[in-house]
Amino acid sequence: MADDVADRGLVIQLARLGDLVQSLPAIAALNAEAAVPALDLLCPAPFASMGSCVPGIGRVLAWEVERWRMWADRWSSAREETLTEIEAYLKMVIPKPYAAAFNLNQHSRSMLAATLLSRHVMGPGERGPLAKDLPPWAEYLRGVVRHRDRNRVHLADVFCGLCGVMPLGTAPHLHIPPTTLPVDLASIGATKGLWIAVIVGAGDMARCVPPEVWREWIRVFLDASRDGRVVLIGSEAECERGRAIQDGLSSLCLGRIWDATGRTTLMQTAALLSRCQWVIGSDTGPLHLGTAVGARAMGLYFARARVHETGPYGQGHWTCQAETSAYDLQDSELNTPPSARHVARWPIAASVRLIVDDQPKGCDGWTLWQSRLDHWGADYVAEGTLQDSGERREDVWRRLHRPISLKALSHEYVRA
Amino acid sequence: MNMFERNLAAIGLKDAALATALREARGGAFQITPARTGQPTAMVSGRSLHSAYDPLREAQAWATAQAAVCQPGEVLIVLGVGLLYHVEALRACVSRDTTIGSIVPDLNELHDVCMVRALDRWMNEVEWLWGPVERMAASLATTGRPLRFLNYAPAAAMHASVHADLERLIRQQVSARAGGQVHVAVVGPIYGGSLSIANYAAAALEQLGHRVTRIDHSLHQVSYDVMTGLKDPRHRATLQGRLADLLGQLTIARIAEDPPDVVLALAQAPMTLPLLEHLRKKNFMTAMWFVENYRHLTYWQQVAAGYDHWFVIQKQSCEHALRYAGAKQVSYLPMAAEPSLHCPVSLTPEEQTALGADVSFVGAGYANRRALLPRLLTNEWAFKLWGNEWDGATTSLGDVLQRGGARIDTKTCTKVFNGTKVNINLHSWTGEGLDPDGDCVNPRTFELAACGAFQIVDDRTLLPEVFTKEQVLTFSRPHDLVPLVRQWLRDEVGRKQMADAARQRVLAEHTYGHRMQQFLAQIGVNQPDRVGAILQGERQAGALLARSAPVPELKPVLAQFARQERVELKDVALRIRERGMTAVLSREDLLILMLDEYRMETRDLL
Repeated sequence: MADDVADRGLVIQLARLGDLVQSLPAIAALNAEAAVPALDLLCPAPFASMGSCVPGIGRVLAWEVERWRMWADRWSSAREETLTEIEAYLKMVIPKPYAAAFNLNQHSRSMLAATLLSRHVMGPGERGPLAKDLPPWAEYLRGVVRHRDRNRVHLADVFCGLCGVMPLGTAPHLHIPPTTLPVDLASIGATKGLWIAVIVGAGDMARCVPPEVWREWIRVFLDASRDGRVVLIGSEAECERGRAIQDGLSSLCLGRIWDATGRTTLMQTAALLSRCQWVIGSDTGPLHLGTAVGARAMGLYFARARVHETGPYGQGHWTCQAETSAYDLQDSELNTPPSARHVARWPIAASVRLIVDDQPKGCDGWTLWQSRLDHWGADYVAEGTLQDSGERREDVWRRLHRPISLKALSHEYVRA
Repeated sequence: MNMFERNLAAIGLKDAALATALREARGGAFQITPARTGQPTAMVSGRSLHSAYDPLREAQAWATAQAAVCQPGEVLIVLGVGLLYHVEALRACVSRDTTIGSIVPDLNELHDVCMVRALDRWMNEVEWLWGPVERMAASLATTGRPLRFLNYAPAAAMHASVHADLERLIRQQVSARAGGQVHVAVVGPIYGGSLSIANYAAAALEQLGHRVTRIDHSLHQVSYDVMTGLKDPRHRATLQGRLADLLGQLTIARIAEDPPDVVLALAQAPMTLPLLEHLRKKNFMTAMWFVENYRHLTYWQQVAAGYDHWFVIQKQSCEHALRYAGAKQVSYLPMAAEPSLHCPVSLTPEEQTALGADVSFVGAGYANRRALLPRLLTNEWAFKLWGNEWDGATTSLGDVLQRGGARIDTKTCTKVFNGTKVNINLHSWTGEGLDPDGDCVNPRTFELAACGAFQIVDDRTLLPEVFTKEQVLTFSRPHDLVPLVRQWLRDEVGRKQMADAARQRVLAEHTYGHRMQQFLAQIGVNQPDRVGAILQGERQAGALLARSAPVPELKPVLAQFARQERVELKDVALRIRERGMTAVLSREDLLILMLDEYRMETRDLL
């Protein structure tokens, strides 16, 4: 491993937990390229512990948002001191610029960070931190966000494209080191049973499955599986949601539920997920984290979540995708994006049956998709006859892909 | 050499006069007893000034908390002497190049400390401010740096009046030296008396050279009035509440688009507690000028904790009530007049006939006015009553009510004041007689005075602070009103003398310009690193250039601005972006752009 950062590459992922997990295929693909130097990772400070579990990553640099906010606040009253302090901090963390930065985010902060910390940028910002035009894959991603409906290339594979590498066609795994759990959670996964992690919330309220739906799902699941066990996963802010789910369940059910909401660190959450056979939830960071630590995923995708864009990555995961008919929208709401509160029917029986009996079964308003991996990355196959339309993945790749080329020169956008 | 002499010898090296004065002081200010740890602790009138268990540990905790909020470059002024454990701890807690000053209102206290504690190791690393308060204020004014006052409450409470005087004098000096441009967003109500005050405050700030974003919700009064017409009170309350919420969101959006240094809201501005807390999270500084009687309008209880600074027109009990409800900073800021509107005017003969009178009253029909004003109905003089909400008043008052009880505008009001020999100014109250808790002085008192109009006003406890008895005539018992009117109607020269004196007082001290200066100076003193620095011009390009030696790379950036132009992060970032998409940037440029990205998070307010 090259010790001098000047000979190393830096992967930049400053978005959310889910995005960091979706970056694993790109990191794996970069590591497989002979031309790519050894890699470090720059990610938000709260995810730094998890970053250190990513295979092929040497050092993890924590991006301390609060520190930058504090500096931004202070600049007006103490400019010189602030700039001097930032420079001192950056020099301490990154004594020299990296040989190359692989930037996976489109926002300005990420582009500026890439330019500041490296001599060469791949991905957004490669044409300069102020440039408005984006490289082809970044432009494609922007189009997906705007138009949404027809894309077939998964976000994790777009990340590969941004870095100039093809997906490997395998699902990368995080290596979670032995982690001490709270005593009452230590038995999770250690005893025989069908352990299911239920992701109780989501960062975006529109993607939060209502507590009463989860309550019903748990009741049906525990009825259907005699050895079923449920672990509630959520942040501290989601404790109330966890309690609301359990409220009204029989004591027999409650005896088979472990409530871990608000009680675990990110690494402990990852450890818990790795002890479960399945993880179920909407399109959230913990759902993707579950797939990265070996659980099979059952995604409930509704609101703005689309399976082809951000479905669980890997082989054999399932996703229930809400179609228009799943929603009950008032006339006045037809122009607003649907959210969890608009879902009229939830695929409770279908998802339970699939998990317990491995029997795919349709549900009105929802389609069921199974994930697979190939040379072009992730693909999702519909159970039944329905296939998504849109440009074929291989055509998109042929149109946009530019193999990686790392210039040895400093980029021309910054004066040394 | 004993401890006292050692301490004095050390002080004498830096301030021989102080050492001499301490030797002459008699001491005995404190009762000294040992704490559990063995160190001396002090009591005054049975109250402990330091922990009776571990004064050192207590002082360290205090100093750590204070140091956390201090900014580089500030001068730290400690209020409260005690046995100086807290000053010593603070000295150890902050860097050596941070100046610390300690206010010593009573040398006997410092004498006592010198007797029982060895101070010689660190006391010359502190500036001791003693003597007359004017001298202390003058000395602090020469620092040229932001002052941050740190209150060691147990000891400071003994000298609250000295500290208040000191703060007032410093505020005056800050106000006098203010040269920088502050950006203030002035948020007014949908309707009501404070609407005009919002306009006056905004105009005054602009006249003082500051930048104002006026967030005027009176534009939406028409919609509000439509809702008032709804018959079902539940519908009315729900929809008016939703409109107020929406206008609160609109305020946030305006603030996000052009972030001000201070948000000044006037009473009744549609700002809820969640909204104010949201603004605080985003680091916006908010202030409320509550130009209402806090006993009559009580919604302040719901938002007291939301504003960073409260300005009120009443003192003690009001300040106490607000603090009890969660307000952090409460300051007294009385009403004022706007001399461009409230001024002497000449009336045409027709106007004099229509608007003039021997005796007039302008105002709404509160209960105390309905009870007292009929005494003025007599054949001895012509009495006119102006204003609204007089429905159901006695027939006799109805006879003198002008324009059928319609509200009159400021211009007409001014003519009524000018055309009247004796203006009656009776503060509103919902009881009969005079308000027994009457403290605040209403805007009318200042407006009448600014017009050069003679007035008789019901006595208020805070009136002597703003007008003398030679400027405004008062009465404190209902039955005194008629004899006073009779007496002063006969004395034209006396009326003119008083009215002229009152007008001069307003022009010298009581305009909205003065109030806004006082408002900014108070915030500047409370927040030296933010508004204080701006007021002193430290954010102007010239001052920044002069200070940019440590980071010379900033010089070319700053040189692009006019010397007097205020330069903020967004301005510098904008200049960098204007250089084009393919511009070659320096590291400093990149850092500034990065910081600006985080500054722009304020745009995510909604």
